Amino acid sequence: MDLIYLYCVTNRVPQPKDDGCGVYSLNHQGLYAVLSKVSEDEFGEENLKKNLRNLEWLKIKAYRHEKVIEEVMKDGCVVPFKLATLFITEDSLKAMLKEHAEELRGNLENLEEKDEWGVKIYCDVERLKKISLIDDKEILRMDKEISSSALGPGKAFLLKKKREKLLNDLIDKKIEETVQEFLTGLKQQSLRTRFNRSLPRDVTERMDDMILNAAFLVEQDKLSAFIREIEILKNQYYEGTGFLFDCTGPWPPYNFC
Amino acid sequence: MDNTVTSSKDVALVEILDRVLDKGVVISGDIVISVAGVDLIYLGLRTLLSSMETMERLRDSPIAGPMQEPT
Repeated sequence: MDLIYLYCVTNRVPQPKDDGCGVYSLNHQGLYAVLSKVSEDEFGEENLKKNLRNLEWLKIKAYRHEKVIEEVMKDGCVVPFKLATLFITEDSLKAMLKEHAEELRGNLENLEEKDEWGVKIYCDVERLKKISLIDDKEILRMDKEISSSALGPGKAFLLKKKREKLLNDLIDKKIEETVQEFLTGLKQQSLRTRFNRSLPRDVTERMDDMILNAAFLVEQDKLSAFIREIEILKNQYYEGTGFLFDCTGPWPPYNFC
Repeated sequence: MDNTVTSSKDVALVEILDRVLDKGVVISGDIVISVAGVDLIYLGLRTLLSSMETMERLRDSPIAGPMQEPT
């Protein structure tokens, strides 16, 4: 038996690409649900649970989900749904649309001509430490004292600990200032911001640490100002400074529905 | 990694999974799945997937000893 897979809802007639995967739409009072039929073998509850734990399967489905929505987004505003939102019949889908019509319309109205942009900032803490050491007189003074033979081992140990703490505090402060500067600049050029959990290294597969994971809602006709702000910040904070950032978009407004 | 603005074409899997699994509208369809899948991202996809597979194998094995957390 086929199930109905929901990608997104839009307020303009979608023109889905004929990619052989059978994307079609259903209209409920001006709300268009973008759908495709999927097999119960893949998406029935038991098999779905299994499949969700299969990275290869998940990869394919996630890319597909995103591509379909991006295609629809070219023609108008979308409310993107989470992966694997499924219905048994078109009637139950329509019932859902009816029940949530006001909410969906509200979302579509609020998101009209706006896009989501993602910004992540990474920090190479070791590099930042090295850079900070050059400037900080207090730490340099401590280093001199530690390496001088005048101190006994006990005192040297304590001083080393103190120095570590000082350095860490300095780094924390620098990170905080950088993030704040970024946010101040970008918030001015966007309508809404959403902060998400920073992802750990085993997920990012990077050697540095994610220190900011944010989404911004940007008006399409103000996009160039937003990008300009990114460029300004990029020039100030380039790789040599211990910070790196990544800006991606436009995304369907997953973070703002 | 480049500092420039990147188009969605080159985007990492993590970016997409983060959005389609964890963000977006949540309206229960007819199939309600406990999206334990969402935690996959935050715990490290590959690590968790392989440890879950290992655990299932241990559970099903007739000669399995006491359940041990895979390292």
